[in-house]
Amino acid sequence: MGESPEAASGGAFARAWAKALWGTSYLPMTQAQLEGLLQRLTDLLAQTLRTEPLDLRVGHRVATELVAAHIASAEALGRTLEVIQLRLIRDLDLAGDDVSDRMARLLAAVATGYARALRDRTLDEQESIRRAAMTARAEAELALRASEARFRHQATHDPLTDLPNRTLFAERLAAAVDAAAGGGRRVGLCFLDLDRFKRINDSYGHQIGDRALVAAARRLSRAVEPHLVARLGGDAFVILVERSTGTGDVVAVAEAALAALAEPVLVDGHDVTITGSVGIVERRAADSSPDDLMRAAGSTLNWAKTAGGARWALYDAERDDQEQARQALSAAIPTGLERGEFFLDYQPLASLHDGSLLGVEALVRWRHPQLGVLRPDTFIGLAEETGLIVPLGGWVLAEACREAVGWTAATTRPPYVSVNLAVRQVRRPGLVQEVRALLRRTGLPPDRLQLEITESTMMSGAEEPVRALRTLADLGVRIAIDDFGTGYSNLAYLRDLPVTELKVAGEFVRGLRAPEAADERILASLVSLAHALNLTVTAEGVETGGQADRLRAIGCDAGQGWHFGRPAPAENILARVKEGAPC
Amino acid sequence: MQRPDWAPETIDVERPSVARMYDYYLGGSHNFAVDRAAAQAMVAAVPEAPLMAQANRAFLRRAVQYLTAAGIRQFLDIGSGIPTVGNVHEIAQRHAPDSRVVYVDVDPVAVAHSREILAGNDSATVVQEDLRHPERILAHPDVRAMIDFDQPVAVLVVAVLHFVPDDDRPAEVLRALRAALAPGSYLVLSQASDDGRDEAERAEAEQVYRRTDSPLWVRSRAELTGFFDGFELIEPGVVWVPQWRPETPESAEDAERAVFLGGVGRLGG
Repeated sequence: MGESPEAASGGAFARAWAKALWGTSYLPMTQAQLEGLLQRLTDLLAQTLRTEPLDLRVGHRVATELVAAHIASAEALGRTLEVIQLRLIRDLDLAGDDVSDRMARLLAAVATGYARALRDRTLDEQESIRRAAMTARAEAELALRASEARFRHQATHDPLTDLPNRTLFAERLAAAVDAAAGGGRRVGLCFLDLDRFKRINDSYGHQIGDRALVAAARRLSRAVEPHLVARLGGDAFVILVERSTGTGDVVAVAEAALAALAEPVLVDGHDVTITGSVGIVERRAADSSPDDLMRAAGSTLNWAKTAGGARWALYDAERDDQEQARQALSAAIPTGLERGEFFLDYQPLASLHDGSLLGVEALVRWRHPQLGVLRPDTFIGLAEETGLIVPLGGWVLAEACREAVGWTAATTRPPYVSVNLAVRQVRRPGLVQEVRALLRRTGLPPDRLQLEITESTMMSGAEEPVRALRTLADLGVRIAIDDFGTGYSNLAYLRDLPVTELKVAGEFVRGLRAPEAADERILASLVSLAHALNLTVTAEGVETGGQADRLRAIGCDAGQGWHFGRPAPAENILARVKEGAPC
Repeated sequence: MQRPDWAPETIDVERPSVARMYDYYLGGSHNFAVDRAAAQAMVAAVPEAPLMAQANRAFLRRAVQYLTAAGIRQFLDIGSGIPTVGNVHEIAQRHAPDSRVVYVDVDPVAVAHSREILAGNDSATVVQEDLRHPERILAHPDVRAMIDFDQPVAVLVVAVLHFVPDDDRPAEVLRALRAALAPGSYLVLSQASDDGRDEAERAEAEQVYRRTDSPLWVRSRAELTGFFDGFELIEPGVVWVPQWRPETPESAEDAERAVFLGGVGRLGG
């Protein structure tokens, strides 16, 4: 099929046009596609030029199509007008009187249409990129806000349970206290921890432990809604009760929390039973600070735990004050030791046969810078609880030995010194070395040192302390059982232990007022038992001559108490010995 | 409060964007005054800049046509920029309507614009990600939803590697992409080169791009060829982009003026 002359010449024109457009801008099409498009437009132009009347809309349409096909640059318009003007009439062999006139009008229409289309395209593109920028900015801001919210959430929540963490809780508590303080309103706290939670971790592993924590957290927050539950770390949680109307409100919350925990949790096929303890504080917000509330709730929680757990305890200011004072006192012991605030008084142990001074019991005192001289019953218990009894008892032992050596010069029959040993001191390895070193350093003869231990010291049945005491006894050190008859009074250890002496508790002596009282019979039996075992007996708490007489009648060897002398500095006691005064 | 690393950046349209500058070179109006000013400075330094962009765009078109003809139906266009005229999906879907295309760009405005253009096209999508994190691109759920990596994929890294300095280990990036591809997949690369260019001209061009977030990092033909490690180069190899399978002999004339080198490699096996 041959091409018509018209189409052939149109083809030459379209190719020339395509060449003219080449490189004016990026044309997203192949050469052939471009030529195909331009051929169609050429035909349109040619037909228009031949048709009467001249349809100028065709000029606009051609221009619009060019721009729509991305032939959309100033250069493309210039070259298009140029190539049409120069070649179209010649290449298509268009003739006519008014052809140049018609051509001018058609070109004007093409140029106008092109400029319009280009302007519209530019405006559309500008609008579209602006819209994209706005969208992108809005998205970025949204994402930023979301990430800020996420970050804030991360910073204020516990990752394991997703409960509010300490930070958020502190904020909320502070805000709650602030808000309530003005109106004279009340706030409450439940400080909760899981009982022996470590045991769950130990027996099931931490993974199960963690899941149990998550389960407990979920239950707690559901049970006490709408109150805020936070995880402070580990197995410690705290519940904030805002707008409390009284203790009852907060106790109800604590009970709901404990009840929620009571059901066993099924974790990975393990039935994990969790109980909790709760410390409750409830008071007028204006009377407290967040720190106070937290501290008080923490102490109260300890009371609940000490009482055995699986319960709540309510804050008690008096108890708290006492505990705080005790704690402060206990904390001051190490400093007191360093600063030499402790000193010893001695109380005579007198022979009931001739009234002579056999020994003295060392009694520690604390010259507290604020509280004055403190008796041992105010701080020894604390020191025993905290373990500070070890350094303190060590100091007492050393000081007693040091002072006792000096008494040799003062009297021909220097008394032995009796020193109390706490359970922890006896059970501690190294006691033998400690005593041996002391004796060597001070030169105190071993038989002038008596160690008083309590029955409870021996109750553990451990062999090590028995062995240590035996070694000390072998050295010549006297071993006495303090407060005999009030505790366990297991006679078996009297057989095993190298005991020299029994010290009978003062309460039996107090009963000696009534003749033929049970106490007297008990004492008499104790004395005969002791003597049968080759032990001496010292009665404590002897306050009157009458008691001393009865004890002497029973056969008791020695006495200690106000009747024989109150605790006093060593020099006072020695002075009396020198003066020959009876004890 | 320190912003965590996953917090997004804000949009700064006060800085020229290389994507919008490229649009300007191509004669588009998807750009702002700041982009035009930078692009004009580039044109002053390197008068062929618009020509380079056009030649590169034409290379992309021919490469996609070639790949479509070779049976490729999945395209991953990384560094796609502003979806100006002659997008990959337009070219590919014109020749093979079942082609699926994922555009990837780091420029949030370019991504937003692409999203608008692609609205209603179920076979093309866009994700905002950085070429320097191929693992994130490959793991992106939108990428995974559109592309089946058990089938051949054409990965297009066209006119973008010159924004990845050696410190960012472009070879490793490409290796990571390659590792995800099935045999029969393709890699299309092009980037600006300083082969045969004037030192002063290069320095001036680099100066212009230092104003953007994407400084220019030109490379030699040998370096670009090295990036095809693991791929078999399709004839004619790495060449000035107008020389890559030109439609007419004339269109390959003065090819080195195009500044861009390009090539297509096939993953064997």
